Amino acid sequence: MARRFSIATRLFVSAAVWSIAILVVAGFVLSTIQRRVTERSFDERLQVYVQTMAANIAVRNENNVIDPFGLGDPRFSLPLSGWYWQVTRSDVDPPDITTSISLFGGRLPRIEEVTMTANGKDPSEGYVTGPDERRLRMLERSLEMPDGAKYLVQIAANSEEIETNVESFRWAMTVSFALLALALGVTTAFQVRFGLLPLARLSNAIGAIRRGATDRIDGRYPDDLAPLASEVNLLIDANREILERARTQVGNLAHALKTPLSVLVNEAANDDTSLAGKVREQTTLMRDQVNWYLDRARAAARAGSIGIVSDVEPVIRGLERAFLKIYADKALAFEIAVPEDLKFRGERQDLEEMIGNLMDNAAKWADRAVRISGRLMTEETQRVLIEIEIDDDGPGLPPETRADVIKRGRRLDESKPGSGLGLSIVADLASLYGGSLALDVAEIGGLRVRLRLPGV
Amino acid sequence: MRLLVVEDDRDLNRQLVKAFEQAGYAVDEAFDGEEGEFLGETEPYDAVVLDIGLPGKDGVAVLEAWRKAGRKMPVLVLTARDRWSEKVQAFDAGADDYVTKPFHLEEVLARLRALVRRASGHASSDLVCGPVRIDTRTSRVSVNDVTIKLTSLEYRLISYLMHHAGRVVSRTELVEHLYDQDFDRDSNTIEVFVGRLRKKLGVDAIRTIRGLGYVLEPPGTGVTPSASAG
Repeated sequence: MARRFSIATRLFVSAAVWSIAILVVAGFVLSTIQRRVTERSFDERLQVYVQTMAANIAVRNENNVIDPFGLGDPRFSLPLSGWYWQVTRSDVDPPDITTSISLFGGRLPRIEEVTMTANGKDPSEGYVTGPDERRLRMLERSLEMPDGAKYLVQIAANSEEIETNVESFRWAMTVSFALLALALGVTTAFQVRFGLLPLARLSNAIGAIRRGATDRIDGRYPDDLAPLASEVNLLIDANREILERARTQVGNLAHALKTPLSVLVNEAANDDTSLAGKVREQTTLMRDQVNWYLDRARAAARAGSIGIVSDVEPVIRGLERAFLKIYADKALAFEIAVPEDLKFRGERQDLEEMIGNLMDNAAKWADRAVRISGRLMTEETQRVLIEIEIDDDGPGLPPETRADVIKRGRRLDESKPGSGLGLSIVADLASLYGGSLALDVAEIGGLRVRLRLPGV
Repeated sequence: MRLLVVEDDRDLNRQLVKAFEQAGYAVDEAFDGEEGEFLGETEPYDAVVLDIGLPGKDGVAVLEAWRKAGRKMPVLVLTARDRWSEKVQAFDAGADDYVTKPFHLEEVLARLRALVRRASGHASSDLVCGPVRIDTRTSRVSVNDVTIKLTSLEYRLISYLMHHAGRVVSRTELVEHLYDQDFDRDSNTIEVFVGRLRKKLGVDAIRTIRGLGYVLEPPGTGVTPSASAG
């Protein structure tokens, strides 16, 4: 099967197919049994006439004439009434045939395949076509008189009664079986839904993790699903652990490379030989390369993180504490208006990296004030976004250079190291999360940086 | 001015110590967290340069231990881990500034001077007391705009007094802040240095407060309440 049906569909369809098959078979069986029962009770009535006729034959008069009214049922006297009898004496040639008046000069045929019972005495029964082309139910019985005379007694009656009976039973059965099938269908659908409810719950829980509403699968699950739930939790933990390890390794690599680089830079700094010049040049190159690849490695480690949510406000407060010390000489005022429940769907470290770089830039250029505001916003796509604006009262940027400043490696002002680079890292990170970075003019005069990120 | 450098890389440690000594500081060095923590807790440093990635006890833990023990000296953190999350962690542990590796020694020196200056409550890098002026960026000492040539120890002495101008500084305090821990300390030599320094300055800026120590004041300012001028 190339197409994949849902478990609910599979369960429902297979239950429906089996139910219908069983109902159809049961219908056939029941209908057959009912026909037998109906035929038997009909045959029993005919049997009474057979026995009466046998008695009549036994007490027949000397002319061997069988009493035409002997069965006491007027239907045998009405022409083509559907009720007939016929007695054939077979030991004379030609056979002597007596019939009921109702046969109206016609003859009853023999039952084609005579099914004799084991002892051969019971009358055989079956269907024949009568003189008026109607189907008849007929009983046959052979008699042998003590004087050696052999008779064949045939009693036939219109089978319409049986058919009507069978037909009405079939109809009633079909209706009730159809209702039963419907009821089964409804209960099956209900059962499937009820039975698969924990699965739906599990799928919702995993969806919530992916959206970042929660970080693991909680709650109790049935015994057959509980292992799956705990496996998913373990997987999430493992994923997180791998990320953490990757990050630690990247940090270790940074430390391992940067310390010797510092030594080389400093050793070469106070030396005027050409070798020292080469070392200065190459160490600068190495430092840039190390930074570039560390950023890339971090970005790669980030791509797999799922279900992680970070509070925004504590991150900004932590950075504020740091910047108050870093820019202690500037006596900067940080005005922070960020709701406490603002949440970023992603790693706290990445949020710190983005806002840290932006605040660093703002603080670097600001005259006295850095203003940070945050809010929850919803795009047309219904994706939840958060918006963080960082304003400064510094010189700002002319509109034509705002787009350039975000691009990697472009530094607008070499006197403030790293300003262009910081913004480009933020832009890279933000786009990695499906967010964006834009520059504008702040109300307080300087640059406004608008960071949009996925929220919760 | 006495500094502590805690850095496990021997070459970098040597470079830092050399640069600080050339800039006129007395410098102690430590190569791991435990040693650094012990020195920082027991010796009175004017500033500390602390590497975050230390073997044994890491820099953040050392810093936290110092702050917990009530040590308030300014700490400049060196870190190869240039992520803001790590920097915030260091600041929350009590760091006062940071420099990211790889760095130029001039930058570390500049940050360190600023830290020392701020810790003693000075806003400008120029320290002025009457006619005496120190430019902490260049370690230049001048009196009435005439540059004075001082030895390294003399510079440390005037620098420490200038940073704490107006406050009585005891001889023991001076010994603790002028010499590194390997120096054979003798508080009597302080008197010799103060005498030489007075002669070189040529103005009566350093007053002896008998039994207590010395105070740097603009010449001609009032009599200190505790004792008369010596």
